[in-house]
Amino acid sequence: MASAQCTQASAIIVSKGGFMTTDQDVMDNLDYDSSVVGVEVDVGTHKVEQEDIIAYAKALGETSPLYLDEAAAKVGPHGAIIAPPLFYNLFHLEPGLDPKVNFGTTGFDAGQHAEFFEPIRAGDTISAKTQVSSVYAKTGRTGTMVFTVRRTTFTNQRGEKAIVMERRNVRRDIKK
Amino acid sequence: MSQIYIEDVDLGDDVGPLVKEPTRNQLNAFTKVWGTSVGRFTSDEVAKSEGFTGVILPGNMSMAFLGQLLTEWCGYEGKLRRLDVDFRRSVQPGDKLNCTGIITDIEVVEQENQVTLDVFIETQKGERALQGTAMVVLPSKS
Repeated sequence: MASAQCTQASAIIVSKGGFMTTDQDVMDNLDYDSSVVGVEVDVGTHKVEQEDIIAYAKALGETSPLYLDEAAAKVGPHGAIIAPPLFYNLFHLEPGLDPKVNFGTTGFDAGQHAEFFEPIRAGDTISAKTQVSSVYAKTGRTGTMVFTVRRTTFTNQRGEKAIVMERRNVRRDIKK
Repeated sequence: MSQIYIEDVDLGDDVGPLVKEPTRNQLNAFTKVWGTSVGRFTSDEVAKSEGFTGVILPGNMSMAFLGQLLTEWCGYEGKLRRLDVDFRRSVQPGDKLNCTGIITDIEVVEQENQVTLDVFIETQKGERALQGTAMVVLPSKS
């Protein structure tokens, strides 16, 4: 019966009417703007202030002189104070294109993927480009969720790729 | 700071724990430098209206603790190359967080010593608040 099949394939759920619904069906019927997927746009620049790096590092309880000690950092491997790796999360950027995903009653950050190429240094001007890289449905033990993945590429004023980051936002029905 | 080398590590080795006990003052300092006004990070009242018992830490603040674990471990000559985490449970000021990693793969790719790890943050209740994977490049002794 249907319930036995469901234990075999977690991606298949049974709707109230008893019809089988797959994540593909969810995507086929999802109300969203697929035309923005894969379209990269400029979302602004951020001037990296040394005092912000130091305040951020202190708030985290970091102790490395690379982040906190200007004199030590200047003679160190990077020639300036550098930022802890996740510092880019503080940048205030434009949101980029909106796929207008109409699903569920609540949304939140589900996770983040980051690749690090060049450190961010005090005094850098970082420019950012963002795209919605994918929208997909996934069904787990708490029901069906729709993920929107946004990929942002951060480049410094020397044209070097510093960081590529993907933020996963999820929409779902609030827990009853 | 002592430097760890690729010759020092093996599959299954633990990294950490780095124990973090973020305070309300640290959270306030973090949201101030960020310039965020998101209520669940700054106001107990708003956090409670959203079903939490009080303010919670931004996911990217907890994620940064894993960044600290890995950058302190790999040293000045090592490099954190990749970090991927899922935010599973909320973290609050006053929680005691065990940030740890375990080495799952070691390989040399284009003369780079790449070490892959599972990483996670466990609260004092033994619940995993964050979990994910990371890749770090370590120097060789020779």
